[in-house]
Amino acid sequence: MRSFTNKISTSHETLEWLFEELKSTSDLVNKPLHVGEKHVELLYIKTVVDGEQLQQLVIKPFFELESLEHVEAYLNSLPNLQENQPREQMLLELTKGSVVVEVRDQLLLLDIKKSNTEAVLETSIEPTIQGPQYSLSEDIATNINIIRQRYHKPSLTVEMMELGENTHQSLAIIYDEELVISDVLENIKKKLSALNPPIIQSTTELNRLLNDKKRSLMPIMMMTERTDRVVFNLAGGKVVLLLDGSHTTVIAPVVFFDFMTSMDDIYGSYWITRFLKLLRYFGLFACLTLPGIYVAATSYNPEVFRVELALSIAGSRIGVPYPSFVEVLFMLVFMELLTEASIRLPKAVTGAATTVGGLILGQAATEAALASNIMIIIVGAVAISTFVIPINEMSFGIRVVRLILLVFASFAGLAGLVFGLIGFLMYLTQLNSFGEPYFKIYLQSKRAETEKTSS
Amino acid sequence: MNRYFIYLVFVNMVANVVASVPKILISQRSEGALLSMIISYILGLVFCYLCARFFNLFPGEGLPDLTKKYMPRWFSFVILFVIAVTWYIAGLITLVTFSFLLKRFLTPDMPLSWITITFLLFLTYGILLNSKSVLYTVEFVLICSLPFVFIITIKAYTSHELNWDFIGESLMYIHNPPSFTAISASAYLLLGGFNLIIFNRLFKKKQQINWKNMLFIALIGGTALVTTYFIPIGMLGFDAVGDVVYPWITTSDSLRLEFFIVERVIYIFLLLYLAISFLSVLIHWHVTLELLKSIIWFKKFQLKKRNLTPYLFLSFFWVASLIAVSYLTEYHLIQYSSYFLNFLLCSFVVMFSLFLFIKRRAKV
Repeated sequence: MRSFTNKISTSHETLEWLFEELKSTSDLVNKPLHVGEKHVELLYIKTVVDGEQLQQLVIKPFFELESLEHVEAYLNSLPNLQENQPREQMLLELTKGSVVVEVRDQLLLLDIKKSNTEAVLETSIEPTIQGPQYSLSEDIATNINIIRQRYHKPSLTVEMMELGENTHQSLAIIYDEELVISDVLENIKKKLSALNPPIIQSTTELNRLLNDKKRSLMPIMMMTERTDRVVFNLAGGKVVLLLDGSHTTVIAPVVFFDFMTSMDDIYGSYWITRFLKLLRYFGLFACLTLPGIYVAATSYNPEVFRVELALSIAGSRIGVPYPSFVEVLFMLVFMELLTEASIRLPKAVTGAATTVGGLILGQAATEAALASNIMIIIVGAVAISTFVIPINEMSFGIRVVRLILLVFASFAGLAGLVFGLIGFLMYLTQLNSFGEPYFKIYLQSKRAETEKTSS
Repeated sequence: MNRYFIYLVFVNMVANVVASVPKILISQRSEGALLSMIISYILGLVFCYLCARFFNLFPGEGLPDLTKKYMPRWFSFVILFVIAVTWYIAGLITLVTFSFLLKRFLTPDMPLSWITITFLLFLTYGILLNSKSVLYTVEFVLICSLPFVFIITIKAYTSHELNWDFIGESLMYIHNPPSFTAISASAYLLLGGFNLIIFNRLFKKKQQINWKNMLFIALIGGTALVTTYFIPIGMLGFDAVGDVVYPWITTSDSLRLEFFIVERVIYIFLLLYLAISFLSVLIHWHVTLELLKSIIWFKKFQLKKRNLTPYLFLSFFWVASLIAVSYLTEYHLIQYSSYFLNFLLCSFVVMFSLFLFIKRRAKV
């Protein structure tokens, strides 16, 4: 009751205060509604409020209802009504699209948000053949709606919090209460509440912000835009983070192998998906090692391969004026540039860029004897196999690792390459994603493997 | 028993090929190698079983934790230090042998110290990891490489060059009395389980080694031992095999994959064993480091809140191995490793009396 009396004494003051705070905004509307005995005051920011809805929900009933009591009772019964909140919070809600209604010395806060980002986008980052073709929108309410539409279970929990000192973006923490690993959930919540970045724009930023290590290479959370992947992971007991204004979610905890699965793996028949998986891992292995093997086989151990192959490699290198590692580095760097350019360029120009870069440069480089023919094949194979990795962030990580392996291979030949691979493996095994091991072989049942004591 | 225990046993079984075990056994092929192998096979299995049984009694506790609880401080210091040095030398032998191997077969242009430094660089990173990561690494590398080991073994057994008469000839020497050196060399195959002295810290669940595990270990161990000894003899000839420095490398070089990109098996073999012997050194030195950390720890020795004691040990590791690599020759290496293996077998008397003592004190 106390808060109620308190409110009576200050409701008008609060309104004035809110008005003062927002006065400099030109799209602020302070509109008194007045007819006969009835008087109500509205305060809102025009550009973030849905005018039509406001008309339907507040203004029209005001003129239709008999008395002010009726109006108050009506407004109090609206589902958009937000609970009593301190005035600072009210101010913040106003900027998000709420309307403050002063009725009979009482301030009511109604959420009549207008959002132009509700359109559900088509999947563009992780396309699959089967499965849903639409991803998420850029509006959090719509996104939660989509996820809930696909995961009907009472234990699905959505927790909201705010992030970003300046932007106050809402962040949803979504998990299945029955399945989630409680340690991980605690860990994530603790880290989330500890961080306070000035602005946060994308869920993927969380990947860096929530990482304990300042400098990291591998993603410890998985970014996805696919709703089926989100649901699949929710059912697997993972935590999904969703930020307002971003059409991607991040999922934690993850293991390395998660990044190598495509959602098509679930939809296809057994042997087909096995084959595709095998293909993908082969691609990973190839794009990691091929440049290194080329350097090792030409400069260190030409005798490793069978004679015919060794001779044809050596033959195609005739005329190349520098050692093999320069050649590989040269071609790899240009390939990376090409990939990078085709991401950043406007879509209309991309085609031209790839043609000029890929075809002409490759052809000319061999004819000018700046690179061997086999080198061009290897670069092409490496580029293709990098794109096979389903999750984008992982393929970025692998691109970096590939260069490191190339360095080792240039220094110590095949032995260096093997050492480099083991080193990469050790790097992966020491990583953890919110307390769960990042790289571990899962041979036994899931229960036996995830129990802390079993290892 | 946990699958990670089996991996620890496996690594020693597979890595023995580069740890001069076959060379020592083959040098005694006309004396008592066969009978010694049979004796050491039984001995090794018993050791493995006893060790696993002992550590099953104390889930989640390594040897340092136990000696600290049930032994006087000075005694535990001395015994752990000796064990640490033993484990260090076990790793060092593999490291030096493989550096020689690389120099001779894979990268003859690289200076020996450079090869060793490459090894050490990655080892340094590896042994500083926590024990769990070490086990995950071991598991992954083993799972990737065991199929190849299997294929090479099959290839060797089915090869036309394998002359069974030579194997038959070597069987004629079964009546010769066993020798201690041969026993200790071949027992090394089955001693991998003793890495539990540190890795038992991770096995927090109560578990029991049963006859199925032992049967599995016995089967694989037996195959490994027989393959290690007989294949080089059958491939290279009973007399000629004695003249070869690395019997297994030469054996693998006589195998040929007709329809593969890599024609000579030796290169697959070398890279495979590079990975496996890396694991072997990684495990041994990780145990060494953890043992040393448990007895010597300088609290004040810090830089930016990071304790530097492990780095101090590591610098000793580096210096000792670089000195060893530059001073040893291949002949000395085999001689010293056979001394070491003899010492190792003797030291297990101490190890088991230690186990017995702890068991009595702990009353379990």
